[in-house]
Amino acid sequence: MFGFEAIIAHNGWGISLVGISIVFTGLILLALAVAQIHKIIELWDKRHRFKKPRQKKEKKEATVPDLTVSQDVQRASRQFKLLIEWIGEPFPLPKLLDLSEKCGLSRPHSTINELVKCELIIPDGNGYFIWNKEKFRDLGKKE
Amino acid sequence: MNDLLIQFLSNTGFALADYRHIIMILVGIIIIYLGVAKQYEPLLLVPIGFGMLIGNIPVFKDFGLGIYESGSFLNYIYYGVTHDIYPPLIFLGIGALTDFSAMLARPVLMLLGAAAQIGIFATFLGALAIGFPPNEAASIGIIGGADGPTAIFLTVMLAPRLLGPIAVAAYSYMALVPVIQPPIMRLLTTRKERLIRMEEPREVSKTEKIIFPIVGFLLCCFLAPAALPLLGMLFFGNLLKECAVVERLAKTARTSLIDIVTILLGVTVGASTQADVFLTPQSIGIFALGAFSFAIATASGVIFAKFMNLFMRKKINPLIGAAGVSAVPNSARVVQMVGQREDPTNFLLMHAMAPNISGVIGSAIAAGILWGFMSS
Repeated sequence: MFGFEAIIAHNGWGISLVGISIVFTGLILLALAVAQIHKIIELWDKRHRFKKPRQKKEKKEATVPDLTVSQDVQRASRQFKLLIEWIGEPFPLPKLLDLSEKCGLSRPHSTINELVKCELIIPDGNGYFIWNKEKFRDLGKKE
Repeated sequence: MNDLLIQFLSNTGFALADYRHIIMILVGIIIIYLGVAKQYEPLLLVPIGFGMLIGNIPVFKDFGLGIYESGSFLNYIYYGVTHDIYPPLIFLGIGALTDFSAMLARPVLMLLGAAAQIGIFATFLGALAIGFPPNEAASIGIIGGADGPTAIFLTVMLAPRLLGPIAVAAYSYMALVPVIQPPIMRLLTTRKERLIRMEEPREVSKTEKIIFPIVGFLLCCFLAPAALPLLGMLFFGNLLKECAVVERLAKTARTSLIDIVTILLGVTVGASTQADVFLTPQSIGIFALGAFSFAIATASGVIFAKFMNLFMRKKINPLIGAAGVSAVPNSARVVQMVGQREDPTNFLLMHAMAPNISGVIGSAIAAGILWGFMSS
C-alpha cells in the first residue's frame, strides 16, 4: 500500500495531528509554568515585606503598655491614687487637676494625660472618671 | 605448505571483501574526513566513521568478531545501544552541560522548539506514503528531531532492524546542519527579517534555574510518560549542574561519562552499518526521508517564527526558528553564523539557544508520543 491510501489505512493523519498537538501542548504548558516561576520566586522573596508591617503593628501595640510602666508614670500613679481616694470616685478631671496643682505635683496636666493614656484613669461613661484598680495592681506586680 | 598459505589468504579480508564493503569503507572514510577536516561535529563523526571501518572489515561468520555475533566484544558494547542504555546517559550529560537561562528568560521561544517537530510528523506521513509500516515510519520520522540519542532510543523500541541506517542518518544530518540549514533559512526569510535585533533577555536567578528541572520534569513526564528515560535523565543532569552542591557528579556527567558513552555509542553505531545490513534500498529511502525531515523541521521553525511575529510587539528574528531542530548547540551556531553574515554585530546565539533546548525537550516528547501510539 502506498500514498494517501497507506496514510489513511494506518491512521497517519490522526497520529500526526494528535502527536504535534501534544508536543505543542506540552511545551506551551512548560512555557506558561516557566513564565510563572520567577514571579512566584519574587513573591516568595517579598514575603518579609508583607510580614513586616504586621510585626511593626504588633510592636507598636506592645510598646503602648511599655509606656505605661515608665518609671515617671509609676511614681505619679501612686501620688494620684492617694488624691483620687481623697476626692472619691467617680470624679471630674478638672477637680483632680485642681487638687494636684494645689498639692504642688509637677506637670499635673501632662501627668494626668499620661495616666489616661495608660488607662489608669478611665471614663465611667457618664462624663466622670474612675481609678483602674486592676491596672494599678498589674503595675505593682510588674514592679 | 601451499595449502596453509591458500587457507590463510582465503581467510583475509582481501579475499572475503566484495564491492559493498568497499563502498561502506569509503563512506566511513568520508565521514572521518568531514569530522577531521571540515570539523562537522567531530566528536560524533570521528567515532562513527571509524566504527564504520571496524564494522565493514569482512570476517568469517561465526568467528565471534562481528557486531551482530553474540559473545563478540562489539556485540557486548552494542548491548548499550540495543537496550537503550546509552541514549539516556547521553541525555544526562547534555542536561549537565546545558544552561537553560535563555529559555527561562523568554519562554515564548519554546514554541519554536515545538514547531520544528512538525518535521517529525511530516516525515512519518512521508514514510507511510512510500510503503514503510507505521513503526518503521515513526522511527524514520524521528530523524527530523535532529537528536541522535532520541532517534536511537525510539528505533530500538520500534524498528531495531533499521537501527544502523537511522542512527547514521540522524548523526550525519546533525553534523551536516551547517550545510543543510542555511539555504533553507535564507530562502524563507527576507534580508530585513534576518537583520532583526532581539532585546537582551532578562537575568535569570539561580533559584529559577534550580526549580526549572523539577517543574519541567514533572510537567513533561506527566504529559508523555514514555519520554521518561530521556527527559528524566536530561532534567536530572540539569539539576546536578544548577544546584551547585554536587559539583563532582555534575562534572562527571558532563565530562567523563558523556565522553565514554559517546565513544561507545559512536563506534557501535558505526560498526552496526555492516554492508550486508546497511546497503539496501531501504537505507537509501531512509537517508532521503531524513534529509526531507530535516528540511521540513527547519522550515517549520522559521515559518512559525514569522507567524509569531504577526502577533508580537517585540519582533523575533525568524532565523532562530531554525534552531528548534535540537542538534544542540550546532543549529544555534548556524543561526548565529547566518545572522552575522548579514550583520556582524548582531548576536543571535544566546536567543537561538532557547528554541534549540526546547527542541530537545520537544523531540523527546514526540518520541514518547510515537512510542506510545505504536505500542498500543
